[in-house]
Amino acid sequence: MSASAASDRPVLEARDLRVARDGRVLAAADDLRLAGGRVHVLLGANGAGKSTLLRALNGLEPAEGELSFDGRRVVTAADRLALRRRTAAVFQKAHLLGTTVAGNVESGLRLRGVRRQVARRRAAAALELLEIAHLAHRRPANLSGGEAQRVSIARALAVDPEVLFFDEPMSSLDPPTREALTRDLSAIFSRSQMAVVWVTHDRDEALAVADVVSFLEDGRVVQSGRAADVFAHPATTSFAAFLGLDAYLVGTIVNGSDGMTRLVMPGGLELMCGEAADGPAVACLPPEDVVLFTRPPAAHSASLRNLLPGRVREVRPSGRLLLVTVAAAGMEVAALVTRAAFDDLGLAVGGEVIAAFKASAVHPIPRHERRLAGPDGGRT
Amino acid sequence: MQVLWNGLVEALRLLAGGDSDLLQITLRSLWVSGLALLVAVVVGVPLGGLLALRHFRGRRFAVAAVNTGMAAPPVVVGLLVALFLTRSGPFGDLALLYTNWAMVMAQVVIALPIVIGLSLAALQQLEEGFRQQIEALGAGRFQAFLLQLREIRVALLATVMAAFGAVISEVGAVMMVGGNIRGQTQVLTGAIVQETRIGRFASAIALAIVLMVLAFGTNLALTFIQQHGRRRA
Repeated sequence: MSASAASDRPVLEARDLRVARDGRVLAAADDLRLAGGRVHVLLGANGAGKSTLLRALNGLEPAEGELSFDGRRVVTAADRLALRRRTAAVFQKAHLLGTTVAGNVESGLRLRGVRRQVARRRAAAALELLEIAHLAHRRPANLSGGEAQRVSIARALAVDPEVLFFDEPMSSLDPPTREALTRDLSAIFSRSQMAVVWVTHDRDEALAVADVVSFLEDGRVVQSGRAADVFAHPATTSFAAFLGLDAYLVGTIVNGSDGMTRLVMPGGLELMCGEAADGPAVACLPPEDVVLFTRPPAAHSASLRNLLPGRVREVRPSGRLLLVTVAAAGMEVAALVTRAAFDDLGLAVGGEVIAAFKASAVHPIPRHERRLAGPDGGRT
Repeated sequence: MQVLWNGLVEALRLLAGGDSDLLQITLRSLWVSGLALLVAVVVGVPLGGLLALRHFRGRRFAVAAVNTGMAAPPVVVGLLVALFLTRSGPFGDLALLYTNWAMVMAQVVIALPIVIGLSLAALQQLEEGFRQQIEALGAGRFQAFLLQLREIRVALLATVMAAFGAVISEVGAVMMVGGNIRGQTQVLTGAIVQETRIGRFASAIALAIVLMVLAFGTNLALTFIQQHGRRRA
């Protein structure tokens, strides 16, 4: 997202970092590097340890292991305070101080020893940046949730942090406010050299802002990489399920002499799939990559190499779309379609339908990363 | 009824004339209670912060002790302080019994649990997330504590007023450790007791009016500041 301003030099590095309480690991990161100019999203379900990891990275929570900021180890409470004084954080709630908006935005600077005049000038610039200069003399009680969160973000940006920590900053905002703020922040980040750590459980939010994504589960980072790669190739079935890819295909990968990779299902059915090594495998199929037809598709749809005739088993709403489950060849495949397309096709539960999808839509998950029970575990 | 009316008229005359005894007793009351309050706030607020923000062994017991202390009868406090200051007591050599200092000490003991308890409760009302946000802003430990005190300033003010109300109107402890000596250790409450006992009702009513003005004035100021703070929050 912000590749133009990105730098490869890590600002913050964590190695074997873990936060444990009463013998239980709440959050752990074996190897996490945050580079300037990039948005690093920590993604995961509620209770996955994202916020705990963020607090450890920000020096708000003591942790075991190695944490380095700007090449220096962060060990003592004084080191953690020094780290916090070069970074900033925005949390789910704005947590504004009982003073004016301008006073709030100045507060971080004043706490860091910046002179009042300078703090006032920098706060004014931050308020302009977030387009809330007109709120400068208001008190927190007179702000909407979106305005309060903008003030909190302005307060964080005013200190010109080297790392900006966001802990679910959008989760208490309504969708239009969230979209507007996300858009504005993306523009700000694209011009900035700061590293951003953004914690969220919202995969759409992650997709909108992330350069790098780390997926956390049970307190541990289980997959990390470029956002596009991570979303296209979830390494565990639980991550696939988190991304909404909950139709698993179980079979055996066979790489043919024709250069094509196939997933051979137990009933003998063969699906063209993405690249993978030979052997037993589970694959996931994103419902947005599945197209439904009532007649075999025309020649121009030849890239849809997999065609599965079946019957509509279930239809349920999924946001503004419909999630249609098709029972085909002894397994289930889900497809997301618009309500208009559903009506145009004349679909109904029990009706005949053809589910079509590209080979690249079938993502095999490496066997050693599978989290389903049993050697052949999985849902088909 | 005539006694009351005559007393009231005489009291107003004393007040209007700026009776020197009345003025002296009032100033002594303000000095003793003001100093006791100052000590209680300077010591009590950080202790309240310690109990609210730190976890240590024995914390619960300390909180229970503070809560019990808030309800301690002043005469019991007076007895304890007197036992410590009496000639054969541990601090008997200091010869503080029946001095203004003894009254200050007794009132500190009365005010301290109130200040600790109420500031502890106010600090605990702040969300953990708020404390975390202050730290993330770059506040050191002391800065963070001051910022939290600023957030609870209205509650702190109420704490100060409550403690002042308790000590200025308290009679048992000051009489026990101060001796209610006219011209030396007599404060408003002790003077009212003595004047009533000897039948000088006018003087007693005048003293009571001053005490009421101080108590009501304190409450009035508190209400005004609280409502002002509510509007600005």
